[in-house]
Amino acid sequence: MQSVSISRLFVLVVLAVGAATSAVAQDPAPSTRETAIEQDQAEKVKALHPYVPGKGEALFNRAEDILVNGVPSWHPFFTSAYYGGGFTLGAGYAHHVSPYNMIDVRGSYTILGYKLLEAELTAPRLFHRRGSLSVIGGWREVTQAAFYGKGMSTSLDDRTDFAFQQPFGSGTLTFWPTRRLWMLRGGLELSRYSQQAGEGSFPSVDKVYTPATLPGIGTKTTYVHSQGTFGFDWRTSPGYSRRGGFYGVTVHDFTDPDEKFGFRRLDYEVIQHIPIFREAWVISLRGEVQTTYTKNNQQIPFFLLPYVGSGSTMRGFMSHRFRDQNRIVGQVEWRIMANRFMDTAVFYDAGKVTARRADLDFSGLKSDYGIGVRFHGPFATPLRVEVARSPEGTRLVVAVQPIF
Amino acid sequence: MSTLSFVSSARRASGAILLVAALGLCGRAVSTQRPRFYPDDPIAREPESQDASKAKPYFMGSLYEMSNNLFVTAGYKPSGTRAKSINSIDEVPDSSWFTNRIGSTTVTVEEIVRGPNRGAPPDPSRWTLTREKTSGSHPGFTARDAKGETWFLEFDPPYFPEGATGAVAVATKIFWALGYNQVESFLTTFDPKRVDFDPKATIRRPSGARTRFTPDDMNAILERVAKKADGTYRVIAGRLIPGKILGGFLYDGTRPDDPNDVVPHEHRRELRALRVFGAWTNLTDLKASNTLDTLLTRNGRTVVIHYLQDVGSTFGMCNDLHEWDLSYEHFFQADTTWRRLFSFGFALSPWQRVHYVEYPSIGKFEGDVFDPRTWRPQTPTTAYLEMRDDDAFWAAQRVAAFSDDLIRAAVHTGEYSDPAAEKYLADVLIKRRDKVTRLYLSAVNPIVNPRLDANGRLTFENAAFAADASGAAATYRASWFLFDNATGERQSLSETQSRTTTIEAPRGVLPTTSGSFVGADVAVESEGHPTWRRPVRVYFRRSATAWTLVGLERLPESAAASTRVAADPL
Repeated sequence: MQSVSISRLFVLVVLAVGAATSAVAQDPAPSTRETAIEQDQAEKVKALHPYVPGKGEALFNRAEDILVNGVPSWHPFFTSAYYGGGFTLGAGYAHHVSPYNMIDVRGSYTILGYKLLEAELTAPRLFHRRGSLSVIGGWREVTQAAFYGKGMSTSLDDRTDFAFQQPFGSGTLTFWPTRRLWMLRGGLELSRYSQQAGEGSFPSVDKVYTPATLPGIGTKTTYVHSQGTFGFDWRTSPGYSRRGGFYGVTVHDFTDPDEKFGFRRLDYEVIQHIPIFREAWVISLRGEVQTTYTKNNQQIPFFLLPYVGSGSTMRGFMSHRFRDQNRIVGQVEWRIMANRFMDTAVFYDAGKVTARRADLDFSGLKSDYGIGVRFHGPFATPLRVEVARSPEGTRLVVAVQPIF
Repeated sequence: MSTLSFVSSARRASGAILLVAALGLCGRAVSTQRPRFYPDDPIAREPESQDASKAKPYFMGSLYEMSNNLFVTAGYKPSGTRAKSINSIDEVPDSSWFTNRIGSTTVTVEEIVRGPNRGAPPDPSRWTLTREKTSGSHPGFTARDAKGETWFLEFDPPYFPEGATGAVAVATKIFWALGYNQVESFLTTFDPKRVDFDPKATIRRPSGARTRFTPDDMNAILERVAKKADGTYRVIAGRLIPGKILGGFLYDGTRPDDPNDVVPHEHRRELRALRVFGAWTNLTDLKASNTLDTLLTRNGRTVVIHYLQDVGSTFGMCNDLHEWDLSYEHFFQADTTWRRLFSFGFALSPWQRVHYVEYPSIGKFEGDVFDPRTWRPQTPTTAYLEMRDDDAFWAAQRVAAFSDDLIRAAVHTGEYSDPAAEKYLADVLIKRRDKVTRLYLSAVNPIVNPRLDANGRLTFENAAFAADASGAAATYRASWFLFDNATGERQSLSETQSRTTTIEAPRGVLPTTSGSFVGADVAVESEGHPTWRRPVRVYFRRSATAWTLVGLERLPESAAASTRVAADPL
């Protein structure tokens, strides 16, 4: 028995020595530096695999593909059917029908129930890259847009609501004769406004006004809207710029086949960005004047009157707060670059509406001021958040486009 | 079997198991213990022993890389780890990444003028366009020259005539001399009247489809570039890199499909050093898509070769004429963002006060306000953040090796039509070279090139003094020790000192046996340089007749990042 145990122990020792020797044989100590490195390289061979991007990287790559290469895809759509609809959510699907031309079908819905459905064909590369075309058709419904009366002396208590539905179809051709700087734009739109009673908590406009006191109430009007723009644009991009400017004039003609509500409108717009301290500051100025001209014995419906008060005109006032035949708006912003992707801005807006063109001056202007941040890329401003203060209160503006 | 005998056997068996375990451990310990120095130290070339032919192409998206670098990498805490691509004497051996040139050997004016260019220049008498340009920010084409060779053509933007092309021409020479694999690049001309379109030439459209490359596509690019008075265009032509294109390399980790890539890239000294070389030349665009890995078979083995492919974002070149903050701030920095926000922009940033002498062919590039410590690439990389002072010292030695003549010769290859612009670029490079070398050569103990002769006389140079980076007097102290290469044990000897760069070893104590080792900690006492007191540790191995340098450690394996001179002083 004892001898068996000793023999077992001997076997174990032999095995132990064998194991130790085996360990040495499997992983010999390198004799040179080169061998030591080669051992590490040989070890890596056992675990070779192709590079596999993580989920986050794959997501960014997809986003880059869409942003840079414009690959067709689903996309968010935040454009409201009309100013004043509140928070807007929507989606669209863009699909290239040719190497450059694209169809985008999209829709949005606002917290107040405004609806927008439209399809747009864009052809961005016409006439040897001198022109672009947009053809758009759609329908929108606005349920409780505000109307406070005409002129500047109305109060918030005068608010009434109105609604309308509008199917529309239009084509807009933009032409750059020299491929940059000079811009000509022409457009033709066929649409039909069906003005209806407002659905909001405020009195409906037809309860306060009559068609005699407020032209356009209850109307169903078909418009042939033609327009032409002549502009000089030397901004780096309309979506985001820290230098350059835009000077433009647009002529609109709204023809009512029934000859009740036809009119013309002239828009004058001047934008100038003045960089200071190497563009860390930018003083941005915008002036805009809209004047309207009625046609023979025709009237301008109240819902197409020029207005001030919105996230793009006077930000401290309710949307469409003041309406009348003409408007003048001046905006000045002191923009401060925080970094390559974010600016902050202190701003001041002033403006008014007038019944007579002769009253378009700098007296009696309403004004507001505020501060905001903008998140931007080199060519676009996908998010703008501002707090604006006016004598009528404080408003939060969230927009997915630049102010100007 | 009785119970007693069973217990006894069990005890023996347990003892045997322990013995097995002990022997196993012993065997493993023996098998893995590596000496400090091997017979082939210091190696001059990093081996590539494995076949890498299975490596697959991958191109990292720019948006992801930029976002990751700005918002994730920017928060990376440097490990303080010593570079791992160095040999035992603190030098970077040749490899598929790097070739020792300036600073290791003499680079002549003729060599730097030729740079990476080995073949003949393109024949521009006829270009055949084959597709759009696939890399770089400036407009261009891929085209075949009259001899049928493929080139990547890049033009100048209208606001930088000669600028983008000149920057590539000059920078490829500089980065080639610094040791990086560079694309062969030649300045040449493009005449739109002498252009053909390959019938198979395509271009990627916004829809994602590739359709035929048309003359209008060419015109669309030519409208955005600088045109010469004679109707032709100045271009820089980059020769097609040999081998299969695998995409860019990253500044951290390793390629998972390359068996020879075993050193994490953030620990490759030659990549860390781009912080210094980048600051000197203002190479602001350090991103993967400006690098390139290719698969090449040489000497019967397929290996990955790593190129610093696009060094055109150098000097005053950038993507936009108005990128004032470039080289002073990353595209996003939280500290400067908050400072500007809270001060409403009244707290001016340094880039708002810099005066530039702006030549259109040079851009915003100056040497008076430049501070290597505050220089910033567009986005940080992990290798950039991992740079230690010994990495910077290594890099600065190479920058210092560029004489005025070499710099002017490299700049002359930019073929700038305005002699004043050429002179200005060279002058600024010289100013920036001096700032880089003054800072980094004096940031750590600057002794270099130690030799121990058979008589026990240790001689070295002071790199800071040699480059005029410091003029102070110095006393050198050497603490000698014997070194057991097998165990790593040190046995202290005595200390000797000198006011010159030659120190005598203690008499009669150095071994004479072949294969024995001796070392010395060499510290420098010099007013105004407290960091020089940290000794450089050197090791020598005895052969039959002489001592050979086998080890040099300028900083220990782990050095606190907060003590770095390389770090931002703000």
